[in-house]
Amino acid sequence: MSVVTSPTRTVRSAGVRDSRPPRLSARRLAPYAFVLPAVLLFAAFKLYPIGWSFVLSLHKTVAGVDTFVGADNYVRLLDDPLFWTALKNTAVILVVQVPIMLALATGLAVAFNSAFLRARSVFRLGFFMPMVTGLVAYGVVFSVLLNEKYGLVNWLLSLVGIGEVPWLTDPLWAKISLGLALTWHYTGYNAVILLARLQTIPKELYDAASVDGAGAWQSFRHVTLPGLRPAILLATVLSTIGTLQIFDEPYILTRGGPDNATLTIGVYLYQNAFTYFDFGYASAIAYVLAVLIGVLGLIQFRVLGDKS
Amino acid sequence: MDMSRRRVLGVGGVLAAGAGLGGLTACSGTGSTGAQGGDVGDATKGSITVWSWQGPAAELRALVPAFNKKYPDIKVTVQDIGNPAIWDKITTGMAAGGAGLADVLHIGVDYLPGYVDRFPGQLADLGKLGAHKYRDSFAKGLWETVSPKGEQVNALPWEANSAGFYYRADVFEEAGVDVGALDTWDDAIEAGKKIKKKTGKYLLGIDKPASQQDSANFFQLLLQLQGGFYFNTDGDITLDSAEAVRAMSLIKKMNDAGLVSDISGGWNALISSIKKGTAAVLPWPTWFGGIIEETVPDQAGKWGVRLPPSVRRGGATAATVNSTHLAVAGTSKHQAAAWNFVEFALTRPESQVEIYRGKGIAPALLKTYDDPVFHEPSKFFGGQKKGEIFFGALKAPSPAFNYTSDYARALKVVTDAQTKVLLKGADPAKVLHAAADQLASQTGRKVAR
Repeated sequence: MSVVTSPTRTVRSAGVRDSRPPRLSARRLAPYAFVLPAVLLFAAFKLYPIGWSFVLSLHKTVAGVDTFVGADNYVRLLDDPLFWTALKNTAVILVVQVPIMLALATGLAVAFNSAFLRARSVFRLGFFMPMVTGLVAYGVVFSVLLNEKYGLVNWLLSLVGIGEVPWLTDPLWAKISLGLALTWHYTGYNAVILLARLQTIPKELYDAASVDGAGAWQSFRHVTLPGLRPAILLATVLSTIGTLQIFDEPYILTRGGPDNATLTIGVYLYQNAFTYFDFGYASAIAYVLAVLIGVLGLIQFRVLGDKS
Repeated sequence: MDMSRRRVLGVGGVLAAGAGLGGLTACSGTGSTGAQGGDVGDATKGSITVWSWQGPAAELRALVPAFNKKYPDIKVTVQDIGNPAIWDKITTGMAAGGAGLADVLHIGVDYLPGYVDRFPGQLADLGKLGAHKYRDSFAKGLWETVSPKGEQVNALPWEANSAGFYYRADVFEEAGVDVGALDTWDDAIEAGKKIKKKTGKYLLGIDKPASQQDSANFFQLLLQLQGGFYFNTDGDITLDSAEAVRAMSLIKKMNDAGLVSDISGGWNALISSIKKGTAAVLPWPTWFGGIIEETVPDQAGKWGVRLPPSVRRGGATAATVNSTHLAVAGTSKHQAAAWNFVEFALTRPESQVEIYRGKGIAPALLKTYDDPVFHEPSKFFGGQKKGEIFFGALKAPSPAFNYTSDYARALKVVTDAQTKVLLKGADPAKVLHAAADQLASQTGRKVAR
C-alpha cells in the first residue's frame, strides 16, 4: 500500500518545502494511517478473540453464568482420556503420514524438475490441483468413494477379486484412509514448495559433482538434499502445524470415529465448543494446542535449521 | 499441513474463539435483552424467517399461503438449513448473542434443553405470548419438555414420534414367521435367525462404527421401551442401569447371531439399504414411514407396520422416542408475528392434517387425530391403519425423558460404547460402566448406582 502511495507523497512534499515541521509530522503519521485499517482488523478479529479465548479458558459456564475456575479446565484436560486419545491419533499422523508425504513430495519435485519429463505443466497442475479443491468437497468425495458397501473403490477392488475393505468403519483402516486423503491433498503443494527451491540450486554444483564421478543417487544425496534443506524445513514445519490442527478431513470422513480412532485435537475441540457448548474447555484445548505447536516448531528449527 | 489448511483452520479457530467470546457477552447480557423486556413487535405486520430442514421445511412453506390469508402483512420466508447443519447454525447464532438467527427455529428435543440451559434468554418465553392455553393440547410428556418448570415456555411441540417397527411383510411371509406373534425382542431375534436362513436378509441395520451422531437410536429405543434413559429426573447419569445393560446385551446378541447389517455412511447409506432390501425390519419412529413410502413406492403392499415388541415379556411397546418443536428467537424483533406463525402451524388441526398428508409427520397436537386421515387404511402398508397404530402409542403413558443439557455428550459416549460392542465384541456391562464414569467426569454429574 505504501509503495503505491509514496510517489504522490514525494511530489506533494517537494512542492511545499518551507512549511516543513507540520508537514513532516503528517508525513511521519501517514504510514501509520495506511497500516491502521489492517491493524484494526487484525486486532478486532485476531488479537481480541485470542485474548478473550484465554479468559474463557479460565471460566466455566453453568446455566449461562460464567464462573472463574482458574486452571480447572487445564487440569481436567490432563485427566481426560479422550484428549489423550486425540493427541495420540494426531501424533500417529505426524510421525507416519508427514514423512511419507514429504518423501513423496521430494520425489515429485525432482521429477517435475527433470529435463526428461514431457507435458510438465500438465503433471504439475495435476498434482497441485487437489490443493485448491475445497476441503469439504474433497472430504465428501472421499467418503463416497470409500464407502464400504456402496463405494467406487470397493467396487473396483471387487472386480479384481478383493473383498470389501472396511475403509472408514474399522479403526485401523480409518486411520489409513485418513492418511491417504491427506497425502492426496497436500503432497502436490509440498512438491511445489520443494520445486521452487530446487530450481535455485546452481547447475554448476551438479556439473562439479559429475566431474568428481558422482552418479545420479550420489548427486541427489550430496547436492540436491542439502540444497533443499531450507525448503524441507519449511515444509516440515508447515506440515506439523497443519497436522496438529487437522480438522476437516476426520470431521467429514469419519466424524472422529470409529470409537475415536480418528479423533484429532481439532475435532475434539470442535465437539466441545459446538456440540457440547463447553466453550471454556474448548478454549483450554486451543491454548494447549497452540503451546504444543510452538514447542514442536521450535524443536524443528533447532534440529533442521542450525546446520544450514 | 501447509499454508492454506493452516489459514482455514486459523480462521476456524478465530471463529470458534469469536463465537465463544460472543457466548460470554450473550450470557452476561441476558438480563437486559431488549426483546425480552416487552417489545415483541407488531403482531400482524413484518417479515419473519423460519429455519427448518428438508421435509418439515417444505411443509411449512406450503402453509404460508393459508397463513397469509389470515395475516396478509406478515411475510414469511422458510429456509431449509438441512439437518444436522441447523444445530451448528443455531449454536453459532446463539453464541453470537442472537446475531443472524431466524425468528422461528425448528428444534429437536435432543437440542432444546441444551440451548435453554447454555444460552439463557435466546429463546423467547412463549408463555408471555399466549402459549399457556395450549398446555393440555399436546401428547403426554411433551409440555414438560417445552416448559420444564411450568412457567417459561421455550417452544411449542410439533412432531411426536413414537417407536415403530416397519417390516417387509413379504420377507416375513417367505420365512414363515408370524410378525404379529413377536411379543418380545428375544422373539424377534429368533425370527431373525429364521429369516436369515430362509431369505438371507438381516433382521435390521445399525450404523456400527457410529459414522453419525444418532447411531445409537436403536439402543435408545430399547432403553426407552423400558422407561429408562441416559439421565434420571434428577439429572443423574443412568447409563449403566440394568435397563441399559439389557438393551445393549440384546443388540450384542443380535449382532453375534449375524442379524445386524452395517448401515454406516449416513442418510444415503440408509436409503440405499432400503432400496436394496438388506434388512427385514426398520425399527424407526413414526416419521420414518413417510420416508419408506417415498423411497420405495413400487413396494406398496409389501410393507407392514406395528409397534415394536417389548423388551421384557409384558413390558411396554409404546414410547415417545423423540419430538421436535418450534421456538421463537429471544432476540427476534418480530416475536409476536413469529408466535402467530407458530400458533397457526402447530395449534390448528387443519395445518397439521395438511402436514401429515404431505410428509407423514406425526403431530403432537392431539385434536388432529380426529381427522379421518389418521383412520384410513394405508395402501402402502398392506391396508393397515398406520395413523391409528401410532395414535394408540401416543395415548399410552410415556414418561417425560430428561434429555438435560448434556445429551450430546451422553450420545457420544453411548455411540462409542455401542461401537466397542459391535466391532470389538466388548462386554455391554463393562463398556456402559466405563461410559457412565467418563460422562460423569466430563459433566460433573453423579452416576446413579
